[in-house]
Amino acid sequence: MSTAQTHLHKVELLPKEYKTETKPFWCPGCGDHGVLTSVYRALAELGVDPNYLVNISGIGCSSRLPYFVRSYKMHTLHGRAGPVATGVQLARPDLAILVNGGDGDGFSIGGGHMPHLARKNINMTYVLMDNRIYGLTKGQVSPTSQRKMKAYTTPYGGVEEPLDPILYMLTYGASFVAQTLATNVKMTAQLIKEGMEHKGFSFISVMSHCPTFNNIDDAKYFKETAEEIQDSHDVGDIDAAMHAVNMAHRNGRIPVGLLFREQRATLDERMAELVKQVGGSPDYDLRKIIDLARP
Amino acid sequence: MNKNDLIIRIAGEGGEGIISTGDFITQACARAGLEVYTFKTFPAEIKGGYAMYQTRASAAPLFNQGDTFDVLCAFNGQAYDMNRHLLHPGTAFVYDGPGGDFEPEIPEGVHAYAIPMTQTAKELGSIKAKNMVAMGALSQLFNISEKALREILSAKFAKKGSTVLESNLNAFARGRELAAALTKTDDWHVSDPKTEERDVVVLSGNDAVGLGAIIAGLDFFAAYPITPATEIARYVARHLPKRGGTLIQAEDEIASISQVVGASFAGKKAMTATSGPGLALMGEMLGMSFMSETPCVVANVQRGGPSTGLPTKHEQSDLFLSIHGSHGDCGRIVLSVEGVSDCISLTVEAFNLAEKYQCPVILLSDGSLAFSTQTVPYPDPDSYPIVTRKCWDGEGEYKRYLLTDDGISPMAAPGTPGGMHIATGLEHDEAGEPNYSSANHETMQAKRFGKLDNVVNDFAPVEVDGEGEADLGIIAWGSTIGVVREAIARLRAEGHSVKGFYPKLLWPMPAEQYEAFGASCRKIMLPEVNHTGQLAHFVRAETGLRPVSYTICGGLPFTPAMIVGKAKEML
Repeated sequence: MSTAQTHLHKVELLPKEYKTETKPFWCPGCGDHGVLTSVYRALAELGVDPNYLVNISGIGCSSRLPYFVRSYKMHTLHGRAGPVATGVQLARPDLAILVNGGDGDGFSIGGGHMPHLARKNINMTYVLMDNRIYGLTKGQVSPTSQRKMKAYTTPYGGVEEPLDPILYMLTYGASFVAQTLATNVKMTAQLIKEGMEHKGFSFISVMSHCPTFNNIDDAKYFKETAEEIQDSHDVGDIDAAMHAVNMAHRNGRIPVGLLFREQRATLDERMAELVKQVGGSPDYDLRKIIDLARP
Repeated sequence: MNKNDLIIRIAGEGGEGIISTGDFITQACARAGLEVYTFKTFPAEIKGGYAMYQTRASAAPLFNQGDTFDVLCAFNGQAYDMNRHLLHPGTAFVYDGPGGDFEPEIPEGVHAYAIPMTQTAKELGSIKAKNMVAMGALSQLFNISEKALREILSAKFAKKGSTVLESNLNAFARGRELAAALTKTDDWHVSDPKTEERDVVVLSGNDAVGLGAIIAGLDFFAAYPITPATEIARYVARHLPKRGGTLIQAEDEIASISQVVGASFAGKKAMTATSGPGLALMGEMLGMSFMSETPCVVANVQRGGPSTGLPTKHEQSDLFLSIHGSHGDCGRIVLSVEGVSDCISLTVEAFNLAEKYQCPVILLSDGSLAFSTQTVPYPDPDSYPIVTRKCWDGEGEYKRYLLTDDGISPMAAPGTPGGMHIATGLEHDEAGEPNYSSANHETMQAKRFGKLDNVVNDFAPVEVDGEGEADLGIIAWGSTIGVVREAIARLRAEGHSVKGFYPKLLWPMPAEQYEAFGASCRKIMLPEVNHTGQLAHFVRAETGLRPVSYTICGGLPFTPAMIVGKAKEML
C-alpha cells in the first residue's frame, strides 16, 4: 500500500458511516445514486479518514455528490473542480483528493483543465459521472451526447459528433484510466478504490444514466453496449489501451474495466525534490534572499 | 533644476543592450549611495522596435521618473527621431556617429557628443560591444563611477569566461577614451557618492511584490504568464522553493486563481499575479472566494486596455474591474501601491487583510512601476507584522460560517478532527449547508459585507500631505502619487497652497477621510492615467466631493510638470 494516496490516515468505518445527514437530491433511478454507493464502499474498503479526505466538485447534478460524503469538501464553480483540487493537493500532499463531476463540467466548460491534471500527474482521483446530457439545466446536449439526440436546444436533433473522455485521458497522459457503469456497483467501487490507491492522476469514467432527460443512453442501453475489457489486456500498454477503446467504438460498444495504469512521479513529488535540491525549508533565512537585492 | 538630480535616457532598438546598459548604470549609481528611480519602455515584440531605459539618480529621495531627460544617448536614428523634440537648450546629447545610421541636426544650445559606437564596436570585433562603448562614454562624460561599473561588469560576465569579460571591459575603456578626447561643454554629472552608510536594496516593482509575498509567509503561488506581471512569478519561482514553498504554472488564469483558492482552503497562504486580461478571467472565482470566505491575494499589474490593448504600456484603468469585477454583490479589498517600497509592505498587508477578513484582496500595481527599479531602505523582515487566519479551537460543534460580532468565523483546515465542512459557492447557512431562504441570504450577505466595514480602521489607508486649508487639493493613486509629491513640492516652492491625498486602500473606500480632505480644499484635482476617470467616478459616487478629473491615456505616466501646469490652470 506504499503507493496509495491515502496511506497516511486510515480508520475503520462502515460504508454507511461515510454518509452525511443530507439526503441525495437526485431523481429516483438516477445513476448517480449508484456512484455514491460505490464511493461509500470504496472509502470504507480503503479505510480513508474523512478528516483527511477532500471531496471536490464543480457544478451540475453529479457535482452535488460531496454534500453526501463525510469529508472536507468544496463545491466550486462550473468546470473548475480540477484546478481547485490541484491547489488543495499541492498545498497539502498528505490529503486524499476525490474529485467528481459531469460530462459538461469536465469536458465542455472545464475541458481546458483536463490535459493538465493528467500530464502533470496531480495525485487525485477524478470520477467522471457521464450521463451524456446537461441535467441540472433540464436537458441540453453535452459533448458526450450522441449525434441526432433531440433535446432542449436541439429540437431537430443534434448535429455534432460526441467525444470520448477516456480516449482523451489516455492521450493526455493520465496515469490511471478506467471506465465502468453506475449500475455495476461492485466494479465501480473496485475501480474507485484502485484509483485512490494509485499514486498519481486516476481517471474513472462512470456511465451514469439520466432517467429524466436522456432516454437514449438509459441504464439498459449502457448495460447492453458495455463490453468488459479482456483479462489478457495489458494495463501497462498505452497502445493496447487505445486500441481497445478504438475497437470498441468500431463495434458500437463501451469498454469497461481498467484500461491503463503506470507509475510515474507525481507533481507534488517532483516539487518536493526541487525544494530539496535548493536546500529549501521554512526556516531558510529571509535575509539571504533580501541580501541579493543589495546594489 | 538641481544639476545633481540627473536623468539619463538611453534609447535604441530592442536587442541592442539598451536595458542591460541602463541596469548597469542604475546599479553603479545605487552602489555610489545615490537614490535611483528608473523608467523603461519596450516593444511588445521580442526583437526590434524602440526600447528606452531612463535612469534618474540623485542624492535626495526620488518619487518619480522626472519630467524629461537631461542626457539622451541615442543608439540609432529611430531613437533620435523619437526624442529629438525633447532636445532643449542645455540638454546633453550623446549619439552614435560617425558611422551610425543617422546624421542628427543639433539644435541651438544642445551639448552634442558624437561617439562612434557602431564603428568602434566593429573595430573591436563585435557589434555586440556597442552598448559597452556607449556606457564607457556616458561614464566618462557624466561622472558615473568607473570603479562601480567595472565591478558590476566583472560580476556579471565572470560566468561567461574571461574572454567575454575582457572584450566588454575593453569596449567600455575605449568608450571612456573616446569621450575623454571630446571637450565637455555642459555641467551635467551624477552626484558625488554619498559618504554616509545607507542600508538599501534596489528592486523593481515586480520583484518587490514577490519579495513582499515571501516575507508575508507565502506558501503557494499559481502563475500564468502575462505582460507586465510575469516577473513576479519569476522572482517567486527563484526564491520560494528556498522557503519550502511551491509555484505552479497553470494552464490559464481561471486555473491559477482556482488553484490559489484550493491551496488557501487547504490552510496555506496563496496568491497569483496577473494583468487586466487575466483579472477579467478570474472574476467568477473571486466571487467564490468572497462567498466561501476563502482568503486569496491577486496582484494585478495594470497595462493599457481594453482587450489586448497596449500590453507593455502604463495605465491605471483596472479600478472598475478590481472593485466590481464579479457577478452578484461581491465584496473584496483593493490596495494600490505607490512605489517599490509599497510593493513590499502592501503585499504583506494584502496577505494580512486576506487572512484576517477571509476574502479576496487585489493589489494594484502598474506597467511603469512593474519595471521601475528604485532604491528602498533594506526591508527588515522582522519589521513587518504578519497575520494568520483565525482557526477553530476544536471546542463544541464546528460551524464554518458561525455568525460572530465581527463577522469573522474561525476556519478549519483539512485534517482538523471534527472540522469537516463544505466551502461552497451556493448561498449557505452557518454550517455551510445550502440555504436559499430570503432571511438567510440577507443575513449572510450582511455578515460578509459587514466584516469589511472594519478594514478602513485596520491600517493607515490614506496619507495626507499638508495641513490646514489649501487652495488646491490633489487626490492621486498608484504610481501617480510620486509624481504629485514632486509637483506639490514645486508648487509650494512657488508659494502656492496645495495639499495631497494619497489613498493606498481604494476599496472599501475610506469616505470620511476623503470628505475631511475635501472640506479643507477649495478645489480638488484628481489626475489618473485612464480615459474614464475611474477613481474620480468612485469619489463622486461614494463621497460628496466633485473632483476635477484630469486624465491622460497615452501609455505613459504623468510628469510633475504636467501636474504643475494643470494646478496653475485651476489655482
